This record gives sequence, C-alpha cells and structure tokens, in this order.
Amino acid sequence: MVRFETSRFGILEIDEDKIINFPDGIPGFPEIKRYILMDYKDTPLKWLQAVDNPDVAFIVAEPSIFLPDYSIKLDVAIREYLQLKKEEDLAALVIIRVEDGKVIANFQGPLLLNASLMRGVQVVIDRV
Amino acid sequence: MLVLTRKSDEAIKLGDDITITVIEIKGNQVRLGIDAPTNIRIYRKELYEKIKSENIMSSLLSIDEFKKIKEALK
Repeated sequence: MVRFETSRFGILEIDEDKIINFPDGIPGFPEIKRYILMDYKDTPLKWLQAVDNPDVAFIVAEPSIFLPDYSIKLDVAIREYLQLKKEEDLAALVIIRVEDGKVIANFQGPLLLNASLMRGVQVVIDRV
Repeated sequence: MLVLTRKSDEAIKLGDDITITVIEIKGNQVRLGIDAPTNIRIYRKELYEKIKSENIMSSLLSIDEFKKIKEALK
C-alpha cells in the first residue's frame, strides 16, 4: 500500500498497482511521475490526482463522452513509448478545464495510457 | 546559447542518439528532420507551451469551476 497526502481528498491509501507512471511527467509538471485515477461518483468524470504533489489534480474524462466516435491515430514512437503490445490496453483521457466561463476538454493534449503497464504520456496533437 | 550555421542537408548531433538535419530552407522557413530515440518527446515549442499553460490552468480548478463542469455534463 502507498499512503500519500492530497489537498482535496485528505490522506489516501492505495495499492501500488493502481499507480499510473508518467515517466516524463506532463508539460508543466515534469517532476510529477506518479498519478492515480479516481472515479467521481455519479458522473463520467474522474480525478487524476498526483501522488507526488498533494495540490495537483485534474478533472479528466474519456473522450467518447464528448465525441462518441473518437479515435486517435498513434504513431510508432508513442506506441513504443507506451510499450503498447495490444490495442485493447490503450486508454485515452482528456483533461477538462473552465476558461472564460466555458467548459473545455483538451483534445489537443490527450493523455494516453497503457492500462496493462500503467504507463502514461500526454501527447500533443500536431497536425501540420 | 550555442549558435551554429548549417546549410541544407547538413546536420547537428545532440549527444550520440539525436540528429537534427536541415532538410530545406525556403524564405524564412526551415524544414528540419529529427532522428531521436522514441523515449524523447519532440514538440513544436509554441504547442508545448500552450499545452503546458493549459495543464497548469487545469490543475487549479476551483470548486465553482468543478461544479460548472459537472453541470455541463448532465
């Protein structure tokens, strides 16, 4: 069990295998490598809470709640980065924020997870 | 900052594993080819900065903003 403090949820205790590792962190938080995902009751939302920093947590959701047909084309580099062996291990999440009073899901920087290795990365979609 | 001059088809190496090649120079635009291990994340800087500031903004959600998100998804 891993025990850690959070500013929103108090002290949490979770199994080590519930921890998602982001080997390079995400842009803005390169030093935070470990997160956990918690369902938010009665909503399709989840909290992505940093294990390594009590204050850092994001509201995330599966892209399909906004775009039912959402799919992402993975390049080989990302596939290798995630050490993805099977397509069904891939999970995507988008970070949701409020900006100028509007609710925005960040489809330009989705989080991709290899659910079997619990390994994650934030990709930056660059269409040029 | 180290400043180097390169021509088309010339390259620079960053350490042993990363090679950046000047593919084409046209007016004020340069096309670069980058060879790097897959564990190196490569971004256009302005996009990286945009995602970074959006991440920081997203991590500072207030209770009111959180309520707003919940409402929007009902």
